[in-house]
Amino acid sequence: MIPLVSGPLLLQSVILGLLLGGLYALLAAGLTLYFGVMRVVMIAHSAFLILAAYLAWYFNRETGIDPLLSLVFTVPLFFVIGVGMQRLLLARLRPATLTMMSVLLTFAIALVIEGGLGYVFSGTQRRIQLGYSGSSIELFGARIAVVKLIAFALAAAALLALYVLMKYTRLGQALRATIQHPEAARLLGINTDRIAGYGFGLGLATAALGGTALSLDSTIYPSLHWHWIGPLMAIIVIGGLGSIPGAAAAAVLLGVSQSLLQIPMGTTWAQTVFYAALFVTLMVRPQGFFGGRLAQRF
Amino acid sequence: MKIRSREVRRAALAATSAIALTLTTAACGLGSDSGSNDDEIVIGISLPLTGDFSEPGKGVQRGYEAWADYMNENGGLLGKQIRLKILDDQSSADRVASDYEKLINQDKVDLVFGPFSTRLVVPAAQVAQDYGFLFVEPAGAAEEVFTQGFDNLFYAAPAVANDHYNLLADTILSMPEGERPKTAAYASMDDPFAQGTAYGLRDKLAAGGVETVVDEVYPPNTTDFSGIAAKIADSKADIVVGGSQYQDAVNLIVALRQLNYQPKLAAFSTAPTNPEFPEAIGAKTEGILSPTGYTPDAEYPENKTFVDFYTEANGTPPAEDEANAWTTGEVVAAAVEAADCADPSPECQQKLIDHLRENTVDTVVGPLSWDAEGRPQSAHMIQQYVDGKIRIVLPEDLAEAEFVFPKPAW
Repeated sequence: MIPLVSGPLLLQSVILGLLLGGLYALLAAGLTLYFGVMRVVMIAHSAFLILAAYLAWYFNRETGIDPLLSLVFTVPLFFVIGVGMQRLLLARLRPATLTMMSVLLTFAIALVIEGGLGYVFSGTQRRIQLGYSGSSIELFGARIAVVKLIAFALAAAALLALYVLMKYTRLGQALRATIQHPEAARLLGINTDRIAGYGFGLGLATAALGGTALSLDSTIYPSLHWHWIGPLMAIIVIGGLGSIPGAAAAAVLLGVSQSLLQIPMGTTWAQTVFYAALFVTLMVRPQGFFGGRLAQRF
Repeated sequence: MKIRSREVRRAALAATSAIALTLTTAACGLGSDSGSNDDEIVIGISLPLTGDFSEPGKGVQRGYEAWADYMNENGGLLGKQIRLKILDDQSSADRVASDYEKLINQDKVDLVFGPFSTRLVVPAAQVAQDYGFLFVEPAGAAEEVFTQGFDNLFYAAPAVANDHYNLLADTILSMPEGERPKTAAYASMDDPFAQGTAYGLRDKLAAGGVETVVDEVYPPNTTDFSGIAAKIADSKADIVVGGSQYQDAVNLIVALRQLNYQPKLAAFSTAPTNPEFPEAIGAKTEGILSPTGYTPDAEYPENKTFVDFYTEANGTPPAEDEANAWTTGEVVAAAVEAADCADPSPECQQKLIDHLRENTVDTVVGPLSWDAEGRPQSAHMIQQYVDGKIRIVLPEDLAEAEFVFPKPAW
């Protein structure tokens, strides 16, 4: 069977890919931030994502209010958890083995979150009931689902805020200094430990946003995070570890590629694009395609 | 010196572990005869209580537990109380095999019941076969279950996966030329049961002249269905058929609605019979079809007892998974009573198998009998959401409502 790709299907797939890529970008931004400021590989990032999705679902079920409003609680909560996690757990790891040990530590945290969610909410698939879950806007014959647009807008706004914060505030300068050269940053009087805590908090706050965005248009279950962590890890390596713009660019590129490849290859094979791209990156340009000098040292 | 002492310590540790292991094994050996008390029958089960199949897995668990409670309240089986030993296989095929291995070998259960779904039934049935155990299962309906050469397996439901849509296929193909759908889109989970249902219908319709325009397969853990939905919407197929379990159908339907795709007929396996389905897809259920082997309204006397008992205990009437689990219990119980034994010995298990091979058992899904490979010989009904409630529309003599075609917009 030769798949004939029609124009509308192509456009639809590009739009779907961009929307998906936006979400990937937000989720990968947090992950790359942890690595940047702390050289931490945060396996539990997607587990926190699912935790946020569950909180949004629970909030909606209990109050009947739009799940987006749960962000008012979850974003500050996740920021505090992030700072706490960095100060109380990750900061205690020996610097020499930090990266390796952080994999083990955050893997354990991911399992605790998954188990906790399963215990409290059971393994049942949950989905937020929204009046507008099936609504869409027409654009040149293609359809843009309202929920996906909201998720994309959320991701774009969060990424923009993160960019402004990193670029134009003192905290952002301190964060970037810590990413570029921790020793030099310390010599300049930056308290890199505290900054790393804030960086971690910020990363986790993006997980709150991403999880809520995810919960709008997908069923969720406790072990769903394993499905996300692989592609996200691939994205940050391809984008260059520690580089937020790199992660965002790689995310959008891979999101669109995945969506387009689904047309000829089907769902099963299209998801291998992340790993294929990862292999190519590691062979051709191990430091990542967008900035990111960190990986060379790693 | 330091190295030496470490070596010594390591050797000592190894020796200690070996002794500990031997002791454990010996203890197991000693305890083997009293794995279950003489006044109870222990039934070993592994179910997917977490992971991809947790939703239906828990339905099966509720059914098994309701059956055991009912039996125990009514004098038990052969005068003995029934105890279920249920393990969680996390929807993993490796895990399910080792679970049954453990149930039979270590826990010394008297009987086993099957897990949920073909992917788990096949490895589980293999273990049961190796130990000569009777294996009645509530949910392995795909063709490959019956082609592995199992001689101990019986499927406790009315029909195998490929035949689930038979009545619907007949109805579609008998429509007048102008009305009959011309094109069809299929999307199925990469799962033998789900594919069996969808492909059974696909092959019959294709043979009858309905062109297949989309034929997609997705992995069980897929949650983003927008790509598949885009293909189906782009094909403008007259009908859409999902070989689905639960969450996949929900996500696919919402994605199709987002693209404003309006088919004349939409049929999905399993998912629409789930009580949470209407809420999950935003109440746009009107006209959605699903094959079912069970309805609480069926008028078999066994079924009335089941529905009353289950509803009183759980507050809601049972669904198909619960019913098939209960049916499994009924089938095994019928064999046990006829053979007058329920123990792990090969002689007893063979007697149970022989009985089912020859006889018909009255169950909550009607009288069941099996062919030599364990395929049940009845038919599935077709249900449809009519006026907001799922009702039987086919076959006509059991119908609770008129078959709606074309389907209203969703």
